[in-house]
Amino acid sequence: MSVIEVQELGKEFQVPQKDPGVLGAVRGLFRPRYENKKAVDQLNFQVEAGEIVGYIGVNGAGKSTTIKMLTGILMPSSGTVRVLGRDPHKQRVENAREIGVVFGQRTQLWWDLALIESLDLIAKIYDVPPARYKEVLEQFTETLELGSLLKVPVRNMSLGQKMRSELAAALIHQPKVVYLDEPTIGLDLIVKERIRDFIKKECGSKGMTVMLTTHDLGDIEELCQRVIIIDNGHVIYDGPINTIKKRFGKFREITFETAENAKAPTLPAGAEVLAAEERKLQIRFDRTVSSASKIASTVMSQMEVTDFSLSEPDLAGIVKQIYNGALDMEEK
Amino acid sequence: MTRYLDLYWLFLIQRLKTLMEYRASFILGAASTISLQAASIAAVWVVMQKVPSLNGWSYNEVLMVYGFVTLTKSINHMFADNLWTIGRVYIRTGGFDRFLVRPIDPLFHLLADRFCQDGVGNFVVGIALVIKTSIDLGIEWTLPKALMLIVATISGGVIFIALNLITAVSSFWVIDSVPVTRLVFDNHLFAQYPLTIYPRAISVLLTWVIPYGFASFYPASYLLGREIGNLAWLSPFIAAFLMFIGYRFWQFGLRYYSGTGS
Repeated sequence: MSVIEVQELGKEFQVPQKDPGVLGAVRGLFRPRYENKKAVDQLNFQVEAGEIVGYIGVNGAGKSTTIKMLTGILMPSSGTVRVLGRDPHKQRVENAREIGVVFGQRTQLWWDLALIESLDLIAKIYDVPPARYKEVLEQFTETLELGSLLKVPVRNMSLGQKMRSELAAALIHQPKVVYLDEPTIGLDLIVKERIRDFIKKECGSKGMTVMLTTHDLGDIEELCQRVIIIDNGHVIYDGPINTIKKRFGKFREITFETAENAKAPTLPAGAEVLAAEERKLQIRFDRTVSSASKIASTVMSQMEVTDFSLSEPDLAGIVKQIYNGALDMEEK
Repeated sequence: MTRYLDLYWLFLIQRLKTLMEYRASFILGAASTISLQAASIAAVWVVMQKVPSLNGWSYNEVLMVYGFVTLTKSINHMFADNLWTIGRVYIRTGGFDRFLVRPIDPLFHLLADRFCQDGVGNFVVGIALVIKTSIDLGIEWTLPKALMLIVATISGGVIFIALNLITAVSSFWVIDSVPVTRLVFDNHLFAQYPLTIYPRAISVLLTWVIPYGFASFYPASYLLGREIGNLAWLSPFIAAFLMFIGYRFWQFGLRYYSGTGS
């Protein structure tokens, strides 16, 4: 049996439609109009024990809504969710004992309490046996370097310190299933690295099942073997990270600003025009076949360029390309 | 049950530690509570100076009704103040989500999260008023009367909490439930005075619809030896009934909880 089973899952929200201006606000008061928005629609996937799955998509794709249904916060509008065989909303308390959750954007800790006091309280809420708690706490103090933080109230912590504390709080009861919702958001590279290391060691070695949502491809590359990509509430890709890396990791994009309106230039092999707008030219190339300098000199020889910039493909770009059927084309 | 009592105790200790960190705010809160109470009592006193007897109720008798409502309201104030702030502080910010991913009852977690110290002052004022007026009126404290004081204090507190709970559930739909709660809660102001001074509609409202009467007027009448006071023995049943409705409605509302973005 899979640890997480999602079948035909859907969630609709009623979004009030507001007309602009005071008159619109008054109208909304007396005759509110609602539009049903499907945040998640006919979602299907399974996660097996011990897997670390990256759950990605652009903002508003339905990631958080899915996580909230998996954790029991929201009740699905349609379809079913099972986590360890339970319905997370109906059997919320039983489900909560088995899961650990980190919301990168908000805290689980008590703002004014020293970290150790928050952790003590959380251990009691989860009914962790004192000996076990002591053992895990000692271990976390070392792996998350919490030693100097235990007496500090959360409100006085830096973002990185806070996130380390959050992880300790979410895993102190050694859950079977872990949801990490943007655990590295806003962190600097060094802290990110540390946190990824910790997740890899802690969750990987203990066989925890992890769902990780992030906008950082680095998180995914470091931690996950499998990714699920959603867009507009649908799964658009579910498979190994390697396929995606192979397909998109080798691409770079160059954007040129040109003096006059750009005409499509002749390009060397391995490069193609993505978009040609007014005085702007966007080119994608395969860096195993061509190079940035080659593309730049070719373009500059054909038109007057005022500026150009080079970028690595970001997640949003990849998702967009996959959504546009890039993977299907590959297979054909 | 003992687990929840243990947990409440732990939450309370942590809450007190937090309060100690904000000493100035603690002292200001206490001072404001005391001056508010003094002003309210002065208002009753001024009224009763002009009107020595209110529909057959003397100054001390009215003050006992007032004391009772202060006492029962303080229970709500101390233990369930978060029902006021659930929308603004917890739902709007998404902080409510953390209550839902923990293996304890989310309503318990919400209430235990913030013991409100401002209620302690009201509790002391309320109990002092009831005892002082009972002495001034020469009331003899029999066993049933002492029992009534305890039963009515708890039941009255639960009635306050349950009514606030029922209205606070609206925050799952409208986010800020304070206006809805206030609409019902403010009716307790009627219950600061003997219900017999009002038109029949209002006394029926405060007895059978929004039964704040059972948190003040009826138990006070019982202590005063008035016949109508016997109704006060209904208060634990009314409290239990309202709490049952409130909790079921809360659970119903949770199904519609849709949180905030991300």
